[in-house]
Amino acid sequence: MTTIEAPAAEVPIAPPPASRRWLRVPRGIGALPIGLWILLFFILPFGLVVWYSFGYKPDIYTTHDNDVLSFDRYVEAASPAFFAIFGRTLNISVIGTILCLVIAFPMAYWMAVKLAARWRGVVLALVLIPYWTNFLVRTIGWQISLSPDGFVSNVLQSAHIIDTPLKVLYTSGAVQLGVVYNYLPLMILPLYVALERLDPRLLEASRDLGGTAWSTFWRVTVPLTSPGVTAGLLLVFVPLMGDYITPTVLGGAKGSMVGQMVAGQFQSAQNWALGAAMAVLLMFAIFGTSAVVGGLLKLVGRITTAATSLTLSPKEPL
Amino acid sequence: MSVIDTGESATAALAGAPGSVELRSLTKRYGTATAVSDLSLSVQAGEFLSLLGPSGCGKTTTLRMIGGFEFPDDGSIQISGKHVENLPPHKRPVNTVFQAYALFPHLTVADNVAYGLRRSGVARSEMADRVRRSLDMVRMTAFADRKPAQLSGGQQQRVALARALVNRPAVLLLDEPMSALDRKLREEMQVELKLLQSELGTTFIFVTHDQEEALSMSDRVAVMKDGGIEQIGTAAQVYDAPESAFVAGFIGRQNAFTGTIEGFDATGTTVHTPDLTLRSSRQARGEIPAAVGGAVTASVRPEAVIVDASAAAATHGISSPPNTVHGVLRGVSELGHSLQLVIHTASDAQILARLPRSANPPTELGSPVVCSWIADAVRLFTS
Repeated sequence: MTTIEAPAAEVPIAPPPASRRWLRVPRGIGALPIGLWILLFFILPFGLVVWYSFGYKPDIYTTHDNDVLSFDRYVEAASPAFFAIFGRTLNISVIGTILCLVIAFPMAYWMAVKLAARWRGVVLALVLIPYWTNFLVRTIGWQISLSPDGFVSNVLQSAHIIDTPLKVLYTSGAVQLGVVYNYLPLMILPLYVALERLDPRLLEASRDLGGTAWSTFWRVTVPLTSPGVTAGLLLVFVPLMGDYITPTVLGGAKGSMVGQMVAGQFQSAQNWALGAAMAVLLMFAIFGTSAVVGGLLKLVGRITTAATSLTLSPKEPL
Repeated sequence: MSVIDTGESATAALAGAPGSVELRSLTKRYGTATAVSDLSLSVQAGEFLSLLGPSGCGKTTTLRMIGGFEFPDDGSIQISGKHVENLPPHKRPVNTVFQAYALFPHLTVADNVAYGLRRSGVARSEMADRVRRSLDMVRMTAFADRKPAQLSGGQQQRVALARALVNRPAVLLLDEPMSALDRKLREEMQVELKLLQSELGTTFIFVTHDQEEALSMSDRVAVMKDGGIEQIGTAAQVYDAPESAFVAGFIGRQNAFTGTIEGFDATGTTVHTPDLTLRSSRQARGEIPAAVGGAVTASVRPEAVIVDASAAAATHGISSPPNTVHGVLRGVSELGHSLQLVIHTASDAQILARLPRSANPPTELGSPVVCSWIADAVRLFTS
């Protein structure tokens, strides 16, 4: 009897009546929509793709079957042709991302720092309006402009800058141009936000303490906007690696990208198992590249911080 | 040419001491608005000078022009005898303590302080030494490895001071550095700052809208209004001998009476107002800004007003002598060291009086009183 009474004495606050406890809203309820979203639109489809990648294409009329599981599709996917096109994709993506950064930084700086506040909304709209226009329509616009008998070619020829019709369309150069154009707003926006938040008094403080415009840029502006730079790099690089509309419209055979190969397996070859294996490989490649680049940037940052930071520990010789 | 050169170098030699600042006819316009107009000012080496004025008087713009963040449309700026009006901030021998401190959030306290030394290429061994001494000076050495976000407002203020002073500037510019601190901390920092300045002997130019702050720390105060200097002098000069109604009103409280000059004689000036007759000991020696019949503002500081309750009944109805007015006590408030009384006159004008507790002023609201003051306390300005 005493053993039962003892714990009851230690809990003086009576628990709420059992009949009303169910009315309480669980604390985590707010996270439910995002949880459902992730489950339905990410984990489930991604799981299906991974599942399909272990299957095979049983006959010409069936897209996939999973009664026998194997890694064979991965072996099949990792062909020299895949790696050749993957290499080109990586090349276009890295150059495209760097070009976006190089173009977007001065542009965002001008918008956030130099431009009068009342014009910022207008210029921001000018950046966004093309971006809101259909991706395919914009890319086809470039196809028309760059074609050998398009207006760019005609203008350049009549100005005697080139003698023969323009031969840019259906090369990786055209794809490079197209992706920089298509993804530039995704770089400008986070950089603009980061630069707009940058306190101009910090730049003045740097100048006041003897910093030139150049050293102020590297010592204050860049470190304080690096989260925006990282966001921009990811926002451009990740979708760019998987882009297949731009190379389809502008690339032809010489400018194809790995996204087209994946799409080709799903759409033309009707081999969902092989397409799924390629998609999984591509995803890991994107994740791996981002992680390696991110790790390198962090390391460089840490080394420069260690090299330039001052410690006043008494052990340090004066 | 040679004649002009000699003349310029002669004045430069006088005002060219390291740490001196010479502003001549400085003008800055923003569109149609003039922020600073034709401002001239000489700051001596080692002086603590405050630019005091209400917001929009051009004090911050003046400071920013000395610092190099704004360039004057007209006029010249000399620091230690050298013209700097066209130089960018990093080429001027001045450093600034900014209003919100502007510490670099990504750097530690030590790195913030070392920032200026790095830019000027000071050797690493010397750098650590100077940073430490500078942090010792503001008692922040223990916080050297913290980030600014981990510091309180007062601590950030000290770091900002160390970061500026470590560069051994000829002139330190301070842009309302105490405005973000609470009153107690602000008073402590005022004492510390003044001590620091007298120890270092660096010229300090301090911008503030707080008259107490300016008066308590400065060697000289320049009271600014509408982009120009209204009066410049020691704290005692601007407080006791304001040269305009604006300065009188801005520095401390004033009882202002508008009236007309009735006449001058050997002992002073008589001014007539609807409520009372005032006598000022100021005579017609250029001290009085108007002629007989001219409109003037007479001002009397609340500290100069004597309030008497016992004499009120006795003299009631009899025509009052000059500098005396009957009224009713309407308010008493505690100022800690003294009492502030609010008296309403017959025509409902308000008179403020501040009396020490030891004077045993009347405190019963509604009681009739007589306010009086001596002729020396009355200052006259053109209205």
